[in-house]
Amino acid sequence: MTKTKKALKVKRSRGEQIFTVFNYAIMIGIIIICIYPIWYVAMASCSDSNLLTQHTGLLLWPEGFNLNAYTKVFKNPMILKGYLNTLFLLFVGVPINIIMTSLGAYFLSRKRVLFQKPIMIAIMFTMFFSGGMIPFYLNLKELHLTNTLWGLIIPFMINTYNLVIMRTSFESIPDSLVEAAQIDGANHWKILFSIVLPLSKAIIAVMILYYGVSIWNSWFWASAILRERQLYPLQVILREILLQNDVSSMSSGAAATDAESIAMSIKYATIMVATIPILLVYPFLQKYFTKGTMTGAVKE
Amino acid sequence: MKNLTKKLKADWVRNRSLYILVLPVLAFYILFHYKPIYGAVIAFQDYVPRLGISGSEWVGFANFRRFFSDIYFVRLMKNTLLLSIYDIVFGFPAPIILALLLNEIHNRFFKNVTQTITYLPHFISMIVVCGMLTDFSLSTGLFNDIIAFFGGKRHPLLQDPTLYRTIYILSGIWQQVGWGTIIYLSALAGVDSQLYEAAEIDGANKWKQTLNVTLPGIAPTIITMFILKIGKLMSMGYEKTILLYNPATYETADIISSYVYRVGLLDQDWSYSTAIGLFNSVINFILLILANKLSKKFSETSLW
Amino acid sequence: MKKELKRTAALVMAASMAAGLAGCGGSQPAETAAAAKAEAKGQETTAATTEPAAAEFSYPMEKGDPLQYWVETTTTVSANFANLGDTPFAKGLMENTGIDIEFLQPPQGQQKEQFSLIVADGDLPDIMEYNWVSDYPGGPEKAIRDGLIIPLNDVIEQYCPNLKKYLAENPDVDRAVKTDDGNYYCFPFVRGDAELRNTIGLMLRADWLEELGLEVPETVDEWHTVLTAFKEKKGATAPYTFEYTNNQYLGANPFVAAFDTSYSFYIGSDEKVHFGAVDEGYKNYLETMHQWYEEGLIDADIATMKNDQVAAKITNGTAGASLGQAGSRMGTWLAAAQKTNPDYDLVAAPQPSTEKGKKAEFGHVEVAYSGRSSAAITTSCKDVERAARLLDWAYSDEGHMYYNFGTEGVSYTMEGGNPVYTDQILKNPEGWPVSQAMSAYIRGNYNGPFVQDERYLEQYYTMDQQKATPKVWGAASSNGAAHVMPPITPSSDESKEFSNIINQINTYRDEMTLKFIFGDADISQFDEYVGNIEKMGLERALEIENAAYDRYKAR
Repeated sequence: MTKTKKALKVKRSRGEQIFTVFNYAIMIGIIIICIYPIWYVAMASCSDSNLLTQHTGLLLWPEGFNLNAYTKVFKNPMILKGYLNTLFLLFVGVPINIIMTSLGAYFLSRKRVLFQKPIMIAIMFTMFFSGGMIPFYLNLKELHLTNTLWGLIIPFMINTYNLVIMRTSFESIPDSLVEAAQIDGANHWKILFSIVLPLSKAIIAVMILYYGVSIWNSWFWASAILRERQLYPLQVILREILLQNDVSSMSSGAAATDAESIAMSIKYATIMVATIPILLVYPFLQKYFTKGTMTGAVKE
Repeated sequence: MKNLTKKLKADWVRNRSLYILVLPVLAFYILFHYKPIYGAVIAFQDYVPRLGISGSEWVGFANFRRFFSDIYFVRLMKNTLLLSIYDIVFGFPAPIILALLLNEIHNRFFKNVTQTITYLPHFISMIVVCGMLTDFSLSTGLFNDIIAFFGGKRHPLLQDPTLYRTIYILSGIWQQVGWGTIIYLSALAGVDSQLYEAAEIDGANKWKQTLNVTLPGIAPTIITMFILKIGKLMSMGYEKTILLYNPATYETADIISSYVYRVGLLDQDWSYSTAIGLFNSVINFILLILANKLSKKFSETSLW
Repeated sequence: MKKELKRTAALVMAASMAAGLAGCGGSQPAETAAAAKAEAKGQETTAATTEPAAAEFSYPMEKGDPLQYWVETTTTVSANFANLGDTPFAKGLMENTGIDIEFLQPPQGQQKEQFSLIVADGDLPDIMEYNWVSDYPGGPEKAIRDGLIIPLNDVIEQYCPNLKKYLAENPDVDRAVKTDDGNYYCFPFVRGDAELRNTIGLMLRADWLEELGLEVPETVDEWHTVLTAFKEKKGATAPYTFEYTNNQYLGANPFVAAFDTSYSFYIGSDEKVHFGAVDEGYKNYLETMHQWYEEGLIDADIATMKNDQVAAKITNGTAGASLGQAGSRMGTWLAAAQKTNPDYDLVAAPQPSTEKGKKAEFGHVEVAYSGRSSAAITTSCKDVERAARLLDWAYSDEGHMYYNFGTEGVSYTMEGGNPVYTDQILKNPEGWPVSQAMSAYIRGNYNGPFVQDERYLEQYYTMDQQKATPKVWGAASSNGAAHVMPPITPSSDESKEFSNIINQINTYRDEMTLKFIFGDADISQFDEYVGNIEKMGLERALEIENAAYDRYKAR
């Protein structure tokens, strides 16, 4: 009896061993695929552009290392402005996102509330049904939210998907804690801000990351509602630089580029400049992150 | 009747501060979601900005009829559906598979590193991803360098309508697969470890364990995610499409949302554009309800 | 107090003009009404000079509220300035006219999208610079009827002596800048001199030609020979490439013109409007391009080609021939490539034809006024006089010099009666290239509501290769001017129908053109393609266009 069991185990572990080897190999493959394009851009950004245009094949190290492209990118007056605007959106927008989402999530996570279900359905409905681009814009205009950075914050205060995740996380907080506070006479504001939120650091970290990434990367509405170039966030500038080739409506004579902007490496340097900061944020939040999604996402 | 008033009263007494607390949230949804839905009535008008919604002429379903008789109607529907279906067939299982594989990695350090790295592409903006794709797809680009290295023929990939969907879907998987695992990994962590022990005692091998314990364990999560996905079946965004397509690939690339974008923003045909968008929303909503019904019937998992 | 009065007057005037009433209302404050009358009288009695107006009115104006001015972004400006308003040009403009301007600018490549949204909500900036002829669906008359911009007839009469004088002296431009109903609607961008109207053309590697013992090609067959030689002997993998994604170049495509047609509408020798992309010539063009594509003579990546990629290819020898402007393309490429390869040389090639020695019938030539970058005053503008005065200044002698050359002593000096750019422009101390330095001080090198001066171009072209282009391209090598479409517009009733038809046709043509070239569609399907375009309503579109052209001729 024991013998057969042992044999079985050995057999199984041999199959497992092969699987494990394969599994690791697959993971390494995935790692390479995920990281190489970024690596390529990084290397191209610090290459000599003349050599770069002639280069074919994989790029493992910079071709003729130089950082001219970065110097040029930082000389562009719009890059700095774009950074500042994006930082404004992040530092003002994300706290508002978190507070508003918590309010909604807290409401939806309470028990024995009469109108909770209809409200939940009404909120979920908006995930799948929208008025469309033009009505949304006309509405912003009516509310005087065009040509201001607030127009990129207020209409996007709550992402319904994030709201649902946060609600799930709040539901896992023991009722006894909340009820005890209620008996002590605390109202819901107090309970939310002094009991629930402090217990939800992990999910808040997740939300910061979710909202932060989406603010950092958003460009369409920015380019639609902003009229003054001083207000452009970084991604809009980035798009201009990457697609600046569109000079269809420009005059002949002198148009788009001059000798220096031929440099392909500038394009890549701009990508790096616009991507690295958000990549750097992640490790700081990672600690909370795995924990946060655990509590948040298990049950929809 | 009296009962109801009583109930309402009790609810108000009990939850008053809760209702006040949720007011800003409700205001947000009314102002920024429901009001634009009301604004979508311009789909039934010949909207003229000077006259506004109240003054523009009502044209009934004319804009919808125009869309159904549009020469591109069939193509747009087909492209939108196919792209979505491919996304579901290939894009949806990808993070589940990756999560299952990751779950079998027992070296904590390696697992963490892999996770972190696969998250990276998610942080890169659509603009950058599409810029890179366009560059890499050139006949002299990185992808072709790799194809040539394996003895293939150089070929401008983004000019080929037959490859467009492949590029769109694969790049989507590349960008989202790691990030998508998060939700499944946490679901996996929640599967009761006693079940595995029991399975092991029964002599089930890894594969059987996956089939009989793991998958059922995370099934509710998978089904929920699937319903959500179905509800978005027709709402492939325009951002990626307008950044990637060109006249050579319209045949397979042009989808409803990119058409809405062109009609509404380039041709200034606001009412028509809104009508198409509205049609799209309605279809989505019907699909969502169907998917939820089916799921309720077969698996007892439901969104509401 | 006086300022207040003036503003009210302007308001009343704007209101009465929007209602289509000529002249002034009776309830206006006496002072301004009298002034306006005197001014109008002055213009009637004196010969066409700006002096009399200046007697009552002179720049700079009194300070007032800033005007909002929506204008697209130009790369040569945004390279060094966050906003057009930060440039010395704009600061000087505000100083000279006394009118403050707040510039609103869309992201590059997003101007149509943003314009569409601005128009959709109806709350407009005071002044908008746009191509009202081709980019506003339905054209300028529709824009007036939609209540978007105001007709300028009375405004020009009252406040714009300089534009009025210019239009009186240039009846061709005058005819082009009004609608069929006789409404003026914009302050136009005019290419004042013929030399400014053919700045796009073919160019190829002169050093390669010499090395291979070849002449500059003049026919399509010769081009074939040259490109084949480039491919085989010089190892060019994409012998001919150009920025295909840029509509401007598609419209100028010399190889379409070589087959006596155009990719869009043109005026035929029968004085009627035709649609080129269904012609037999277009079929021949597609056949030839497909053959070239198969032989590897055209860049395989042509459909996604953008400026920077074209620049890389033409400068590093991957490509040997391209299409572009003498200034921003030829000059840039020469300068860049000669840094590493001193022998590198480009030469302009004439519009090719199908027969040796025959002057091409079609070719890229622009009209003086194409509609582009022309400023209109919107219905939201509260101070029409200020807006009109600001824009009219560009057409005065002083303004003309300012828009084209900048400030005397800073960006140019007068030498022998001609303006000459200073080193601030030509050898900029900040190290800016000429086009960027120019864009800081003038608008003459790109566009805007003013009359462009050829003396700018003469200095902007610094290399001999560039200087040769006006004599090689355009009117010199083709009869293209006879076929180019003037800025005609459909009537406002037909405009929606027309734009629906033409949007569909254009999308289909763009798609099929590439398919034919790549061989995804066989040329035997050309008749089917033509049939589809006809089904989309081509005949109706041509009917509308021909009627519009007849009205244009009758203006």
